[in-house]
Amino acid sequence: MFDLESQIRKWRRHVQSAGSLGAQDVEELESHLRDGIVELTERGVSDEEAFIVSIRRMGDAKALDHEFAKVSTESVWRQLLVPAADEAARRKHRTEIIAVLLLALLGGLLGKIPALFGHPVVEESALIYARNAGLFAFPPVAIYLIWRRALSLRFVAVTAVTFAVFALAVNVYPSYPPHHTEILAVLHVPIALLLLLMALYGGPEWRRPSLRLDFVRFAGEVFIYSVLIGLGAMVLILVAGAMFQLAGVDITSLILNWLAVFGGCGVAVVAAYLVEKKKGAIETIAPVLARIFTPLFLVLLLGLVITMALTGQGPSEDRELLIMFDIVLALVLGLVLYTMSARDAEKPADWWDGIVLALVILALVADAIALSGIVGRLATYGFSPNKTAALGENIVLMVNLVFLAVGYFRFLSGRSRYQTVVDWQMRYLPTHAVWAAFVALAFPPLFAFA
Amino acid sequence: MDIQKDLVAASATPIVLSLLRQGDSYGYAIIRKVREVSGERIEWTDGMLYPVLHRLEAAGFVRSTWKTADSGRRRKYYRITRQGEAELARLKEQWNVVHSALQRLAEPGKTGVEDV
Repeated sequence: MFDLESQIRKWRRHVQSAGSLGAQDVEELESHLRDGIVELTERGVSDEEAFIVSIRRMGDAKALDHEFAKVSTESVWRQLLVPAADEAARRKHRTEIIAVLLLALLGGLLGKIPALFGHPVVEESALIYARNAGLFAFPPVAIYLIWRRALSLRFVAVTAVTFAVFALAVNVYPSYPPHHTEILAVLHVPIALLLLLMALYGGPEWRRPSLRLDFVRFAGEVFIYSVLIGLGAMVLILVAGAMFQLAGVDITSLILNWLAVFGGCGVAVVAAYLVEKKKGAIETIAPVLARIFTPLFLVLLLGLVITMALTGQGPSEDRELLIMFDIVLALVLGLVLYTMSARDAEKPADWWDGIVLALVILALVADAIALSGIVGRLATYGFSPNKTAALGENIVLMVNLVFLAVGYFRFLSGRSRYQTVVDWQMRYLPTHAVWAAFVALAFPPLFAFA
Repeated sequence: MDIQKDLVAASATPIVLSLLRQGDSYGYAIIRKVREVSGERIEWTDGMLYPVLHRLEAAGFVRSTWKTADSGRRRKYYRITRQGEAELARLKEQWNVVHSALQRLAEPGKTGVEDV
């Protein structure tokens, strides 16, 4: 079936990714495209034909971009911050910028809550700050999404309840040495909360799997933006710290307990805003990143598997290594997701998909080795929270990687479309968050808060 | 009939300005009108009109505003400015010179080169 809306979306992304066209330019071109399609369909031409004819009339995206580049020499940032042309849009834009800044401030204020409970110094109460990090940084993003999508009260209620449940569980549960369940909560709370953000991102249609891929893209881009902004902020803070040091004033405590808290908790919502507003800027980077890191990870995993085969030493010797292994596998999955979000589902299979398949298979081999290691440990020493969490993680990842491998293999051998792989992956995606929520909420009581 | 590329490019500005002088309009309507008045002989690649419009705007010859149509879709309308009208007059003058020169050369016996 020809889906006009999705084709127009694809075309828009394509034109945008060329880089010189601002949001307004693209909107103007899209309006033009739609006018053309409407005129043709009114004459009895099918949607598909009308779309193709109109696209052809519009002209080659590269040539278009070249022409536009001659007109608009302003940088991405200026386009973003220069107010829109007409008054209503300008006012809305200004409101949004102010709202985002206030939300970032809110994140920072949430981040200072531990100070109210007698933990003003981040360094001394690192665990308290760490286990709540997602609960500081994500609520502003959630509020922003609710506001932007004008979501109903039901969403607001679910959001409030979810955050409240996690906040209570994370902070009211006792924690006894060696604090393993608490550390597990630190790692798993943000993953679990992503599910909530995914629902908010989708809005009323949150059940549609196709929206999940958009969310994956969104989350990945928010991550890139956050890292970029964070790096910039770090340089700024280091320079500022050094300068004050020269002036004989030590502002280390101010930096750590105020700037880092406010910056760290506020950056996510600013990044989310930038992604929503300026889709084109990062969309061109994401595929490049996927292409750079996929082969690198392939080599890394190959080295790891070969080393383990040569030394005959599985990671069973070391618990930390086992957990690190889980992280590597999660990164591989993230990379595949990234590739997936940057890939045009209609494109036929090429050698690149082969590389991705190789990556997935290698990850599976590594996972099998890790799993054999952990089963041995469980048999000898029984279930500890860390090992159980690592085991559950492994099973969840393994199932995921198995059907990714099957899906990619079927796609490469021409037996199914790429969209099928995407659909499978998107349907499975919430499993990760559900497992993470289970670890964060149910593990502490199950293991006596150890 | 295909009109030579350079000629299309050179004529785009006066054509667009002339059209806008008859009333405010948006990209799609401009292209349709050009096609119509030229008897389908002037065909622009649709996308190329917009850089031209934006360049005219940057030069101050036209001004644009977003308007929402009845269908709910937003369209960017262009309006000619006083500066634009002056530019149009200047361009028309130039075209007239070229046009009349060509005309005279085409009519033998009037002011052909042989007469000089």
